[in-house]
Amino acid sequence: MRVLVVDDSQIMRKIVTGALKKQNVNDIVEAANGQEAVDVVAKDGNISLILMDWNMPVMTGIDAVRKIRTGGSKTPIVMVTTESEKEKVIEAIKSGANDYLVKPFNPKDIQAKLEKFLPPSNG
Amino acid sequence: MKAENINPFITAVNELFENMLDCKLKMNKPGLVVQENGTPDIIGVIGMSGTAQGIVALRLPVRTALAMVGRMVGMEFRGVDSSIIDGVGELVNIIAGSAKGKFDGHAINLSLPTVVRGNICQLSNLQNAVFLDVPFESELGNFSLMVTFKPAVVPEKKEAIHAGIGSR
Repeated sequence: MRVLVVDDSQIMRKIVTGALKKQNVNDIVEAANGQEAVDVVAKDGNISLILMDWNMPVMTGIDAVRKIRTGGSKTPIVMVTTESEKEKVIEAIKSGANDYLVKPFNPKDIQAKLEKFLPPSNG
Repeated sequence: MKAENINPFITAVNELFENMLDCKLKMNKPGLVVQENGTPDIIGVIGMSGTAQGIVALRLPVRTALAMVGRMVGMEFRGVDSSIIDGVGELVNIIAGSAKGKFDGHAINLSLPTVVRGNICQLSNLQNAVFLDVPFESELGNFSLMVTFKPAVVPEKKEAIHAGIGSR
């Protein structure tokens, strides 16, 4: 399966891709902002999971979620963000995100989210 | 600056160290930031706007920055490069983002992080702000959190809502 990791921080992308590799997911695509993510999803129909930051330059993660859903993609999206207010979580879910992980997270937190969306064969 | 306004930031630093850095932390006595002429540090800065205005700055000696970012990604860094700059930006982003979620009743927006080398007092656009300096010690090195924070609007108290839920 192919996972798209969207974050403007290269360090955070490294952390998330490291967690994915521990789950035996090695087919990973990275994007540095929401627009890049929208473009990847439009061109690549094999994305199985999207891990999306919220605050990014060019296009925010929440705007990218809306665009991806408007484009018809049903790929699961997990917001991985510092935005922890209840209103933000509700906004994300209403916009089409499937789940939510608040930074700072520990390795168990992100592994639990990945296990929820990745097939058992990858665990 | 009121203690109730600095506490969310201190809690956010503790959560960051517990969850992502797996490292114990000791906070020392906070004080006001004073002009210094020491070795330039790496400073990650984020602005806050909305129902409160503020600036959060994470000031790290180079050695601490290398250790903290290295711990986050499980790598060893020997010098300041784009990864360190990016990592310090993400650290202050996590602290500011985590803290803003702890201010009940406020709607606060964060700027994207900026990372600079230097002295916080020498940043011209920050000269009029009074920063509270919260020094920390950790096995990854010493560092400071500098915060200036001023609520623009008194938030509605949520006690009534909680009381209502609890009385059901």
